[in-house]
Amino acid sequence: MERRVALKGMAAAMGAMVSLPVWASGWNDSSLGKVKFSGAGQAEILKGAVDAIIPATDTPGAGELGVATFVRRMVTDCYDKKTQDTFDKGIAGLDAQSSKSFGKSFTEASKAQQLQLLQETEKSSDSETKSFFGLLKNLTIQGYMSSEYVMTNLTHFEFIPARYHGCVPVVKG
Amino acid sequence: MANFNIDSEKARTYDAIVIGSGISGGWSAKELTERGLKTLVLERGRDVKHIVDYPTTNMQPWEFEHRERLPKEVTDANPIASRCYNFKESSQHFFAKDNEHPYIQEKPFDWIRGYQVGGKSLLWARQTQRWSQFDFDGPARDKFAVEWPIGYNDIAPWYSHVEKFAGITGNKDGIDTLPDGEFLRPHDLNCVEKYFKESVAKQYKDRHIIIGRAAHITDPQQIHLDQGRAQCQNRTICERGCPFGGYFSSNASTIPWAMKTGNMTLRPHSVVHSVIYDDKKQKVTGVRVIDANTKEMMEFYANIIFVNAAALNTNLILMNSISSRFPNGLGNDSGVLGKYVAFHNYRASISGEYEGFLDSTTDGRRPNSGYIPRFRNVYKQETDFLRGYAAGFGADRMTYSDRSDIGESLKNSLLNKKYGNWSVGSHMMGETIPKESNYVALDKTQKDPFGMPMMRINVDYDDNDEKMIKDYVEQVTEMFTNAGFKNIRSHDGHRNPGNDIHEMGGVRMGKDPKTSILNKWNQMHAAKNVFVTDGASMTSTSTQNPSLTYMAFSARSVDYAVKQMKAKNL
Repeated sequence: MERRVALKGMAAAMGAMVSLPVWASGWNDSSLGKVKFSGAGQAEILKGAVDAIIPATDTPGAGELGVATFVRRMVTDCYDKKTQDTFDKGIAGLDAQSSKSFGKSFTEASKAQQLQLLQETEKSSDSETKSFFGLLKNLTIQGYMSSEYVMTNLTHFEFIPARYHGCVPVVKG
Repeated sequence: MANFNIDSEKARTYDAIVIGSGISGGWSAKELTERGLKTLVLERGRDVKHIVDYPTTNMQPWEFEHRERLPKEVTDANPIASRCYNFKESSQHFFAKDNEHPYIQEKPFDWIRGYQVGGKSLLWARQTQRWSQFDFDGPARDKFAVEWPIGYNDIAPWYSHVEKFAGITGNKDGIDTLPDGEFLRPHDLNCVEKYFKESVAKQYKDRHIIIGRAAHITDPQQIHLDQGRAQCQNRTICERGCPFGGYFSSNASTIPWAMKTGNMTLRPHSVVHSVIYDDKKQKVTGVRVIDANTKEMMEFYANIIFVNAAALNTNLILMNSISSRFPNGLGNDSGVLGKYVAFHNYRASISGEYEGFLDSTTDGRRPNSGYIPRFRNVYKQETDFLRGYAAGFGADRMTYSDRSDIGESLKNSLLNKKYGNWSVGSHMMGETIPKESNYVALDKTQKDPFGMPMMRINVDYDDNDEKMIKDYVEQVTEMFTNAGFKNIRSHDGHRNPGNDIHEMGGVRMGKDPKTSILNKWNQMHAAKNVFVTDGASMTSTSTQNPSLTYMAFSARSVDYAVKQMKAKNL
């Protein structure tokens, strides 16, 4: 069983108030520092979007892991003005498209509707929309895969391997 | 007042001064202080103490806000440093910033600098291959530059001396073009690298694939433990500084060792302006220093001066050392100071894939890679270009995940990576020919923020380099093809000279004072108490990563200098 779920389960089983250790809850939004989102509601839309790209299953999704903050920070700090404008326009476009398709804002749309909308966006033939979505998806994947939660619990990153073996059998499954 | 001046002068007088605390300066300092000389080590940058001044060394990947990418603001302000593969979020504090240290590029030249105690020894790629006699024979045989005043046998014992202390991993391969050294346990070649080694050995008599020799402690000996260093832990984040001292740096090794003797005074924030030649005494008496913080000029005195400021800055200091005796720069009777600068040609690389060993992979990480010693024009001239190239070679098992969808299937795919083919890759390390037209010089009017004349750099590739690139691509493509590698692609990155960070020459060694600055002891022909043992002293470049040779030169030269001092010849 995945470790965080195990800890939660343990707490429930004991029927007591057990707070998770810092390392087990240290990957939420608030621990990742502040970034400035542009435009009304952008933070919520972006959180919904990254969570649709990598949703919660039996493990947390990109939204819970603070990937929206990471994506926003990267776009703000590491890209030029044109890319930033394309990105902001793309996020606003998600909201507009949601109103058009579902009669409600992106954040009010159901998870299934959000996913459908993003899948349609990915298939867009408009080059600006395509580059917005490509950036959003790549940064979401990067932020998720390099999050503390994923590297610690799922992909088992070793900070100090202390070895190199040049030829070992591939472990199946 | 007079007494005060005398006292002050006495307080600023040492037995020896070392300019620079990087890989060669650290060695000069160690060897001088071990021999009992009171030694002042001048470093233009700040102090970087082992472990305590490695702020990022224990940070996890997710603790870097931009996951090692640098913000645009930083890359825009530092286009030169940004072209260095090692300039990233975790290591940027060890690089000199472009805008703080300007210079003039007559032709594009990426001057990568590390201005702190330890210099670039914190950032280097740690490859430590010895030169062979074939390398020292180069200029004389192929008639370029000037003849080396030394051969392999002169330097071999000093290679051993520095290898034992620094800790060098390697395999005794018995190859006459790349002599074996004092090696600690070698790193593994992986399955595909071994396969390639065998494939090449079958087809080419004189071509070898070996594991690189590198300054990593794979098997700590007492001498390493005595330095407070421990076994390399294979973290492969060396550029942050290593808390284990697993790889060799001045900071982990020579500087604290010299400090422990009680004979070293380390003075950071000391930009050396010039070496003082006293026209009355007819000898060098010390150095002038600009305090980097106060910009105040001061003088320090010593009997022996080691110039280890890194190749181009050593040139700059000597060119700026003007006296009646030396109006064109210290020791520059020959007029070659600043000229015959050369570097290593890293422009071309080749990649491919191998579809074998699909049931195998690697485990852990390796701070090293495979190495192909020079095989071109070794025993005789066989191509339409002079000299040759060594090459890096490495293989790694690729993993991939299907990223075509979004949602649960994407997540599932990301977390369940599939093994692909093995990727294989190589990059060239070509010898460039030192030429008079590749030079550095001082600008006559413009000064840098420290008041030093601005450096003008005029260094470029030539036709020999272009031909060598073509040959490297052809030969390694053929070797890859013969090994059954697929999807072979070559790439010319057109990187600027300097980006190799192997700039050399300008203060070359030679037999004849009319055509060189230094003699066979790295000692100035015309100012016997000045020694230059960094990259500036190189007569030619060969193909090996040069740091090990600077270390050996430094140790050898100090040994000679101290013996000469004791015999009262200096």
